[in-house]
Amino acid sequence: MRLRCAVLLIAFLAGHAHAADDSVGKQLFTKGTTPHCAICHTLQDAGAAGQVGPSLDELKPDAERVAKAIRNGISQMPAFSDLTEQQVQAIAQYVARATGAAK
Amino acid sequence: MKSPTDPGRRRLLTSGSAALAAAGIGSVTRAVAQTPAALAAAPQAKPLPAYVSWKDAGSMIVHTPTTIETKRTAFGTSLITPADRLYIRNNLPAPDVSIVANRDAWTVAVDGVRKPRNLTVAELKTLGLDTLATVLQCSGNGRSYFPSKPSGTKWTVGAAGCVIWSGVPVRVVAEALGGVAGGMQFMTGTGGETLPAGIDPKTVIVERSVPLKAMEDALLAWEMNGEPVPHAHGGPLRLIVPGYSGVNNIKYIKRLAFTASETDAAIQRTNYRMSPPGTKGSPSFPAVWEMDAKSWINSPAPEAGPARAGWVQVTGVALGGVNAVRRVEVSLDGGKSWRDASLVGPNLGRYAWRQFVLQTQLKPGTYVMASRVTDSQGNVQVETSPDNAGGYLNSGWRSHAVTVVVA
Repeated sequence: MRLRCAVLLIAFLAGHAHAADDSVGKQLFTKGTTPHCAICHTLQDAGAAGQVGPSLDELKPDAERVAKAIRNGISQMPAFSDLTEQQVQAIAQYVARATGAAK
Repeated sequence: MKSPTDPGRRRLLTSGSAALAAAGIGSVTRAVAQTPAALAAAPQAKPLPAYVSWKDAGSMIVHTPTTIETKRTAFGTSLITPADRLYIRNNLPAPDVSIVANRDAWTVAVDGVRKPRNLTVAELKTLGLDTLATVLQCSGNGRSYFPSKPSGTKWTVGAAGCVIWSGVPVRVVAEALGGVAGGMQFMTGTGGETLPAGIDPKTVIVERSVPLKAMEDALLAWEMNGEPVPHAHGGPLRLIVPGYSGVNNIKYIKRLAFTASETDAAIQRTNYRMSPPGTKGSPSFPAVWEMDAKSWINSPAPEAGPARAGWVQVTGVALGGVNAVRRVEVSLDGGKSWRDASLVGPNLGRYAWRQFVLQTQLKPGTYVMASRVTDSQGNVQVETSPDNAGGYLNSGWRSHAVTVVVA
């Protein structure tokens, strides 16, 4: 019984942590960067319908690819060097999960 | 040729051929038994986006809604690439289609001349006329063949076509406005795309500068392959810079300026630069401008399955960039030995591509087939193009070789 409670608690915490990560990433995605991601990208989960860059729903980039694009820039996309590594990771993980690239 | 402005007819043709295909296959069970590979690949095919729904879906590979290439097997051998098979690469979403409702009213601002002014398409049509065949080729065509796997659309050979344009020579327009002002070294074109709010326009605006000499043969074109330039290809008015890669041929051109320096728009300053893999583009690296001598084989195509042993016509296309095509050689052994191919079809000038054919008898086996063009100045298509961060201008014959099974 105690073991089962612990398992449930861990599962709850993990689930909670997961949700918390996504809310930070989502917030950064929609309005936390300059310019913000949603101006150029489409990502249904974030209500973003930008048309300049690739649609993330279609591209389904994994977190590493997103992080690399944010850090270094790619094609027309500038490097977002003002973001902390933690913020970059939060956006990257969120995008990867929102598009189904990561579960 | 089907009219891009007549989607109704295209739909009819498409549904007609679908019905024929269904009738020909007979039963689904049989189709599954016969073409497991084709069916397995089918779910990956993306539909054409609405703004180019008039394209021939069976001839195209849709990478993204703004990057769509012609299948190698769909070029045909009629030299000119039909509009409904021509590739699409838009750096920004196309402006609203309402801009082609009254094409003659579209206005381009001409600057950097002694008497700068705005000119409508109707006015341009009174100034002069020329017709030109050019190879339109995306700067990144062939990117997928670079070993460093650069980011960006994984184009194979189909981000290219040979197209006929009609319009007024830029040279004539400049003369009509008193000539190019002193000290100008570049011709800078600006696209009329709508820019998103909340972002520095310079980061996304489609504005390109090319060396002033490129104006000599450049056109402001309102017609493509006998019809008004389709909206998706830059209508009502597109700047055509013959011999220069696609991005320099500004769609929906709203400003044409002769300038003392290159634009500082990101698309010129940091993008479309020949910087080594792993580096960022900057003005210290060469801009992506003139295309190189390049050729490739369209048939037999590996994707068409094994070729039949016996007499085979090895065909393809060859361009000389800014020079005419003089000679094309074909190798059937991966570049160990070469034989001269014949140039076939009309010569539409130095900016058009030439078709080539090598007739040969092949026994069953596997062949690595390559082609190599020599231009009128004696430049030979390179074996390997320099790999670069953006994956631009891949013209190397070795990476463009096809491996064909003959059975």
